[in-house]
Amino acid sequence: MEFDAVVKLTIYRHFAETGEGPKVEEVAQRVGAAATSVIESYRRLRALRVLVLEDDGTSIRMAPPFSGVPTQHVVEADGVRYFANCAWDALGVPAALHRKAVVRSRCEQSCEPLHLDVALDGPTRSDWLFHCLVPASHWWDDIVFT
Amino acid sequence: MLFFRSEEQVRLWCAERGDPIRPLVRIDQLWRLATAWYSTRLQESSRRPQPQEMRQIFAELGLEGDFWDPLSDRFG
Repeated sequence: MEFDAVVKLTIYRHFAETGEGPKVEEVAQRVGAAATSVIESYRRLRALRVLVLEDDGTSIRMAPPFSGVPTQHVVEADGVRYFANCAWDALGVPAALHRKAVVRSRCEQSCEPLHLDVALDGPTRSDWLFHCLVPASHWWDDIVFT
Repeated sequence: MLFFRSEEQVRLWCAERGDPIRPLVRIDQLWRLATAWYSTRLQESSRRPQPQEMRQIFAELGLEGDFWDPLSDRFG
């Protein structure tokens, strides 16, 4: 497997196991490489849109669907709490994990709480809606805003 | 990319912000988008859908038009 793929999987599996993003040093230790090599890999993974970094270039803001920072979209599966980047990613977490989960979020206008049980084949029937303000052609112009 | 309790709540939110209302997506459609994007994300062979694949995924869900087109130049 190529180095970048190893780094990517290491990051994603750390999120899946713990609900949190790994530090560069943890990734470096797991893949058996220098931290500088891992940081260079981070930049290439950012270009592929599978990683979003903080301004420091080393902290992971997003490894979609996982968020490296707390958000309003919380997913619980097998006793682990995950933060998702957005409503889409809130369902993306159980889809990635292939586990049953509970998604908690809110209506952005009324702040009514959302509680959505997600089975292996999808969420329970719900008449809630998803709305995205940004057209698909511009999602990655500012992915944090999107 | 946000959840809303109803179309009325979306309209209120957009009106207060002065933003246009965009196409609404049902939860069952959102699940299919989530699985299309992420069901292999923890696997070695995982990769993001490319623009042509995105078009196909959206079309299969009935999400069509410039808004869902990743290659559209209509929005600048």
